[in-house]
Amino acid sequence: MALLELRNVEAYYGPIAALKGVTLDVNEGAIVAVLGANGAGKTTLLKTISGALDPEAGTIRFAGAEIQKRAAWDVAAAGIAHVPEGREVFRHLSVADNLKMGGFLRRDAGGIAADLERIFGYFPALRARVREMAGNLSGGEQQMVAIGRALMARPRLILLDEPSLGLSPLLVQEIYRIIGRVKADSGVAMLLVEQNAKMALDVADSGYVLEGGHIVLAGSAERLRSNEDVKEFYLGIRDAGVRGVRRWKRRKQWR
Amino acid sequence: MALTDARIPAGCDTVAKLFRHTAAARGERAALMHKDYGVWQATTWRGYAEQARHTGLGLAALGLRPREVAAILAETIPEWLFTDMGIMGAGAVSVGLYPTSSREQVEYIVNDSGARFLFVEDEEQLDKVLERRERMPRLERVVVYDMTGLKRFSDPQVMSYDELLALGRAAAERAPGAWDALVDATRPEDRAILVYTSGTTGPPKGAVLSHANLVFAIDRWGEMAPTHDGDDTLAFLPLCHMAERMMTAMRPLAYGGVVHFAESPETVLENLREVSPTVFFAVPRIWEKLHSLVTMTLQDATPLQRALYNRASAVAHAVADRRMAGKPVPFGLRALYALAELAILRNTKRLLGLSRARLIGSGAAPISQDIMRWYVALGIPIFEIYGQTECSGIATFYRPEEFALGTVGKPLSGTEVRISAEQEIVIRGPHVFQGYLNKPERTAEAIRDGWLHTGDVGAFTPEGRLKIVDRKSDIIITSGGKNITPSEIENKLKFSPYVTDAIVIGDRRNYLTALVMIDQENVTKYAQTNRIPFTDYASLTRAPAIKDLVWAEVEKVNKQLANVERIRKVHLLDILLTAEDEEMTPTLKLRRKFVNEKYKKEIEAMYGG
Repeated sequence: MALLELRNVEAYYGPIAALKGVTLDVNEGAIVAVLGANGAGKTTLLKTISGALDPEAGTIRFAGAEIQKRAAWDVAAAGIAHVPEGREVFRHLSVADNLKMGGFLRRDAGGIAADLERIFGYFPALRARVREMAGNLSGGEQQMVAIGRALMARPRLILLDEPSLGLSPLLVQEIYRIIGRVKADSGVAMLLVEQNAKMALDVADSGYVLEGGHIVLAGSAERLRSNEDVKEFYLGIRDAGVRGVRRWKRRKQWR
Repeated sequence: MALTDARIPAGCDTVAKLFRHTAAARGERAALMHKDYGVWQATTWRGYAEQARHTGLGLAALGLRPREVAAILAETIPEWLFTDMGIMGAGAVSVGLYPTSSREQVEYIVNDSGARFLFVEDEEQLDKVLERRERMPRLERVVVYDMTGLKRFSDPQVMSYDELLALGRAAAERAPGAWDALVDATRPEDRAILVYTSGTTGPPKGAVLSHANLVFAIDRWGEMAPTHDGDDTLAFLPLCHMAERMMTAMRPLAYGGVVHFAESPETVLENLREVSPTVFFAVPRIWEKLHSLVTMTLQDATPLQRALYNRASAVAHAVADRRMAGKPVPFGLRALYALAELAILRNTKRLLGLSRARLIGSGAAPISQDIMRWYVALGIPIFEIYGQTECSGIATFYRPEEFALGTVGKPLSGTEVRISAEQEIVIRGPHVFQGYLNKPERTAEAIRDGWLHTGDVGAFTPEGRLKIVDRKSDIIITSGGKNITPSEIENKLKFSPYVTDAIVIGDRRNYLTALVMIDQENVTKYAQTNRIPFTDYASLTRAPAIKDLVWAEVEKVNKQLANVERIRKVHLLDILLTAEDEEMTPTLKLRRKFVNEKYKKEIEAMYGG
């Protein structure tokens, strides 16, 4: 049994179907990437799992229990931390308070202190700016705060929504390096939504491609990386042909 | 060959002359409609003729001589027709390539046909040519219709269509009589077009059709499907396919009407609704799809709507059965039918885009008679055409009002159809082709003693109507010695909204099995409604509940079949095949030989191998 199991999940914004029946699994300790273009339903998927949005149909099981009808705080308490798109740090709180907010359901003061240390270990840049207002931090630092905040809840699963969004290439590498380290250290599972397919597939164990609210391809990261459609549409790898440039795109087949 | 009929004007003994005549007579009337940025744009007959003239003169200026070959590699777009008529007007031979062709296929056909010029739609098609041009030594010039993405590309062998038209325009101004002289020089016995048909064995064969072949076939269209200037048609099949070539390029030359171009192969159903053609020709795949569209729409309807539809459909079928049997329809039933039409049937036809349909044809492949019956019941005047490229696309037909379901009707007047000693359908007449290019031995196999051997097995009904049994090479002989015609069983399977296509297997085997391609849209919907988890297409085909669903559909068909004809096992194909795959024809039918070869392992597994 997988840690997280979605079965035929549908989600709507009013009359508009954003998820049209999504089935996917995240195993304990695994990183699972979800690739997709704008509007494919990636963010909706994460919001539906974390309880920010209620699915219209389908089931979501986490650690064996159905969670699709639970409120967001209840899902968080069950062990799912959501790092939303655009970080959403508490801008007027200090870095320290932001991180502590992540552990607000915890009662073990000693553990919280230890985890704070651990997070500063991952993100040394944050230690120096611990009293700073989070809103004054750079985008990369804010992303670190958001991930650190999620870790403070000691989750079994982290939902990561486009951690690379708006960051410089160097910072993206840094963030992904840390994501890999966190996984190796703590064994926390991650469901990673990304447009940066290369970074996502490098760190992920398996992945799904979401298009128009449907899963069109599923498999190991290796299988996805070698898929012709993923190469052309998500990795931007295409053979340039005899003219040295090629603007047209092949037809997607997803096989 | 003298035409006894007045459908073809005097002196128009070639396609080129007929086109010139018709275009001049119709002048400012709309001939073609296509969409530009979402808005329908008309091309008049005068505009059509001008584009064709400039294309033809441009080619002549570049050195294309009569009886030489020029080829077209493009989707179904107006430029295809401009070029086709331009090439034929210049006295040259026009050959079409499927837009889904691979580089290798393009190379083969260009070389086999000896084409000196090749028209390509866009950058994508151009790349196919450039990657292989060293292997096409006789190809001199490539003309590109759509230069998007090629603005800064320059190559001595490549030019834009606009440049070619400018050459032609300049030539027309220099020598105003040049075009007429070229058209006048065309002769009925000259080659007009080459149509490549993919053989199940060996490379594609180029069927040669003369002007006389085509003009005869155009003439006979009038007795089969009388169309006129008020008609709207929709073009969507590849124009290099004989059926679409006749319907869209040739037929209007005698009968007029407005051809609407579908925006793309994916938007056919939307465009159909939008255009609502009065005359429409399509392949069975489309008729099956429209039928399942209604079936699936009903599943989403309220119970009341469903009950009303079922009641209306029952009345309509009762009426249709009487009509087909030639019996009178009692007044009570007629009144009910009028009600059904008002309440249900009219809207169903509107949903399908067939509310104005006057003449609806199916052909190019066998179709399920249950599907035909359903259209007849809806009150849609549907008929079937039988023919092949080698007889200019048409051999037999019946008129909708004949309700000759289960047959493909009677031969065209002035032609003969017989059943040979081997039960093979053989054809003789002015529509029979000239032979295969560069393949005298294949020609000799096809035309024996003056008769075109179709490769189809058939028989005549007592009324003199032809019934097709199957392709001779497809007939299954089980190890028990029973003869079985797979296409009949396959068509029954395709009646299901969940089955797009099927291949029945069982030659020299103990029992029959089938490979099934599911309808992605409808099966996905079923899976979602019934909470059957799946991720991608392959996992959908492997879901046990989906296998059960398809098996239930197979069982429904099995009930209508004799014991030996029953399907014992099925395998669902786990990839969604498209026209670009060799397993599929451009008219979206599975190719038996290719599929059998590719799925050998899966087939053997069904026989315990």
